[in-house]
Amino acid sequence: MALWGMVIDLDRCTGCQACVMACKAENNVPAVGKKEATKGRTISWMQVLTETDEEHHEEKVRFIPRPCLQCDDPPCTKVCPVYATYRNPEGIVAQIYNRCIGCRFCMAACPYNAKFFNWYTYQKEQPGQNPDVSLRPKGVVEKCTFCHHRLQKARERAHAENREIQPGEYNTACADACPAQAITFGDLSDPGSEVSKLARSPRAFKLQEELGTKPKVIYLTEGEGGG
Amino acid sequence: MENLHSPSDRLIRKLQWVWVAGFIVLVLGIITWFIHLMRAALWLGDVPSAAIGIPLVAIPIFLALASVVFYVFWGLAIRGRDR
Amino acid sequence: MVDHKDHDEDILLAPIAHTGPGFYWAVAGLSVFILWGAIAYAVQLYEGLGVTGLQQPVSWGLYVTNFVFFIGISHAGTLISAILRLSRAEWRRPITRMAEVITAMVLFIGAGQILVDMGRPDRIFNVIRHGRYQSPLLWDATSISAYLSASLTYLYLPMIPDIAILRDRLGKWKLFYSVLALGWTGTEAQKRVLNRAIAIMCVLVIPVAVSVHTVVSFVFSMTLQPMWHSTIFGPYFVVGAIFSGIAALIVAMIIFRKAYGLEPYLKPIHFRYLGQLLLIMALLWFYFTFAEYLTGYYGAEPEEMKIFWSKFSGPFWPFFWAMVLCNFFIPLACLVRLGRRTVGKVLAASLSIIVGMWLERFIIVVPTLSIPRLPFPQTIYLPTWVELGEFAGSLALFALFYLLFTKVFPIISIWEIREGREEGVKEVEERVKSYLPDEAKGAA
Repeated sequence: MALWGMVIDLDRCTGCQACVMACKAENNVPAVGKKEATKGRTISWMQVLTETDEEHHEEKVRFIPRPCLQCDDPPCTKVCPVYATYRNPEGIVAQIYNRCIGCRFCMAACPYNAKFFNWYTYQKEQPGQNPDVSLRPKGVVEKCTFCHHRLQKARERAHAENREIQPGEYNTACADACPAQAITFGDLSDPGSEVSKLARSPRAFKLQEELGTKPKVIYLTEGEGGG
Repeated sequence: MENLHSPSDRLIRKLQWVWVAGFIVLVLGIITWFIHLMRAALWLGDVPSAAIGIPLVAIPIFLALASVVFYVFWGLAIRGRDR
Repeated sequence: MVDHKDHDEDILLAPIAHTGPGFYWAVAGLSVFILWGAIAYAVQLYEGLGVTGLQQPVSWGLYVTNFVFFIGISHAGTLISAILRLSRAEWRRPITRMAEVITAMVLFIGAGQILVDMGRPDRIFNVIRHGRYQSPLLWDATSISAYLSASLTYLYLPMIPDIAILRDRLGKWKLFYSVLALGWTGTEAQKRVLNRAIAIMCVLVIPVAVSVHTVVSFVFSMTLQPMWHSTIFGPYFVVGAIFSGIAALIVAMIIFRKAYGLEPYLKPIHFRYLGQLLLIMALLWFYFTFAEYLTGYYGAEPEEMKIFWSKFSGPFWPFFWAMVLCNFFIPLACLVRLGRRTVGKVLAASLSIIVGMWLERFIIVVPTLSIPRLPFPQTIYLPTWVELGEFAGSLALFALFYLLFTKVFPIISIWEIREGREEGVKEVEERVKSYLPDEAKGAA
C-alpha cells in the first residue's frame, strides 16, 4: 500500500507562490473577494508562510510553503464528531464535504491551521473550473487533499491498462508547478522513490514534530550557507 | 379501593400512562442510539475503547432515570390509590 | 398551623392565579430581544456564518463562549438543590425549586448555542447517525442529554406535591395538573416512594452534573493548542460553573423576590448563606486561575507565553483584567462582611461574577485561537450585530422560559416550606442533640 508524502526543499523555495496559484486553479479553491479577504477569510489550501528574523522583524528569513501536512496521527480526525475527516489507508487525510456539519472543531484542533471554512457560498459552477474537483457549499470545512482526484484518475488509467501506477504518474499540482522544483511528491513507502530518498536527507525536519502529529510533509532546511 | 368511574379520572389515568410511556420510550430511544454508535464504531474499527466505554457508563444512567420515573409513577398513581 | 398553610398557599400560588401588567411588560421587553436574536439567526441561516466576525484563525468566538457560559450556569441547580438536600441543610427549602428551574431551562439555551454555531445545522442528524465517540463533541452530546433528562426529572419529582396543591386549589388547568400530579394525596406510602426517589436522584444527578462541564472543558483540553491543552481544565470548568451558577441563581432569586413579594420566604439569611458560598467559590476560582497561569508562566514555554502575554498585556488585556476584577476583587469586597445590606451586596457580587465568568470563557476560547503556532499575520476578532443579537436573544429566551415557568408552577416549594415548619424544626433539634454527649443513664 502506498504512503503518499511530500518533501519541500526550503533552500530552493523562492516564495514565488506558483504552488499557491496552481493549487487554487487545480482544486477550484474560491477567490473569496476583497471584502472577505480583508476580514481574514482567504481560502488557500497551499499557503506560503514567511518567517521573520527574531531580532530584526522586517527581515524575512525563509519561506515555508504549507499544504495540509497529512499527518499520520492527525489531531483533526480525532475530534471530528461525524467522520467527515479521516485518514485513509494510503495516508491521505480526507475531507467529506457532504458529511461535514461545520462545527469547525478540526480547525480549532489543527496545529498548522491547514483547514479552511466556507463562511459564505463562495463559488457557483462556472466555466473554467476543474471538472474533477467538486465545489464546496457554504458551511463546510475544506483543505488540501494532495490532489486526490489526480490519484483516482491515474489509478483508473493504470487499471484500464492492466498495470500498476508508475512513479511520477501521480503528482500534485503544486509539485508540478514549482519552477525551482522545491516540491517533490511521491510514495514514502517505496524506499527507492525520489521522495523517500530526500526524506532521509540530513537536512530533513518536520514542522512542530514534538507535537507527535507525524506529518508527511517533510522540509529540508537551508544548506550550510544559510539559504 | 377506589373505582375509576368518572371519565375524567379515566382520562387522567390514560394521559399519565401516555406521558410516562413517552418518557420511557425516549430513554429507550437514546439508549438505542448509544448502541447504534457503538456498533458502528466497532464495525469500522474506530477507537473501540471509547465506543464501548462511554455507552457503558451512559446507558446505566439513563436506565436508572427511566426506572426512577416509572417507580414514582407506579408508587403514586397505581399503587398509591389503594388506601 | 392552618393559618400558615393557607397563607403560604395564597402568596406562593398568587403568581399563577393572577397575572398583573408587570408580566406583560416583561414579556414584551424580552420579546424585543428575542426578535433581535431571531432575525440575527435567520440572516445567518440564509447567508452563512460569514455574517459573524469569525475568520481564519479565530473560527470559534462568541457562540462557543456562550455555549460554555450557559452550560456553566446550569450547575446552579445541582449544587444548591442536590448537595443541600443530601446534607439536610434546612435553609435550602425556599431555594431548591428556583435552582432546579434554572438548570432545566438554561440547558436548552446552552445546547442551542451549538446549533447556532454549526455551519450546517441542517445536518444535525449526522451527529446521531454517524457520531464518533472519540470526539469530545459526542461526549458533550451524551453528557448534556443525560443531564437534561436527569435535571428535568429532578425538577419534576419534588414538584409533585405542589402540583397536587395546584390541582386541588387553583381551579384552572385542572386536567393538566391532575395528569402531572400522579394521583398524589399525601399518604404515608406515597411520601415514602417520593422521598426515596428524590434521594436516589440527588445522588444520581451530582456525578452527571460534574461530568457535563468536565466534558465541555475536554472540548478544549483534548486539543494540542497552547493554554488549552491543560490537565486542570476539567476541575477548573466545574468550579467556574458552580461559581457562575450560584451567581445566576442569586440574581434570579432577587428579581422574583421583588416581583412576587416573596420577602417573607427569601430572607436575608438565605442570601447571607449563598453569599458565603459565593465567596468560597470566588476564592476557589482564584486558586485554580492562579495555579493555571503560574504554571504557564514558570514553564515559560514559548508558544504558551505568546498566549499568556496576549492576555496579560497584549490585545486581550482589558478582558483579562476585567475578568479578574469582576470575579475576584469585587466579590471579595462585597461578600467579606455580610452583616448589613446583605441582599444588595450579594446582588452586586453576583452581577459582577456573571459578567466576569462570561469574560473568563471568552478569555479561554479566543486568545488561543488568535495566535497560531505558525507565523500567520495577526487578526482581530470583532463580534458583529448577529452574534450580539444571538447572545441577547438567548439571554432573553432563558428569562422568558423562566418567567413562563413561574406562571405555571410555584417558584418556591410549598410543601417543603410546610415540611420545614412541621417537621424540620423537630428533626434539627433531635439531630443537634445526637451530636452532643449522651446523658448518663440513671445519673445520681
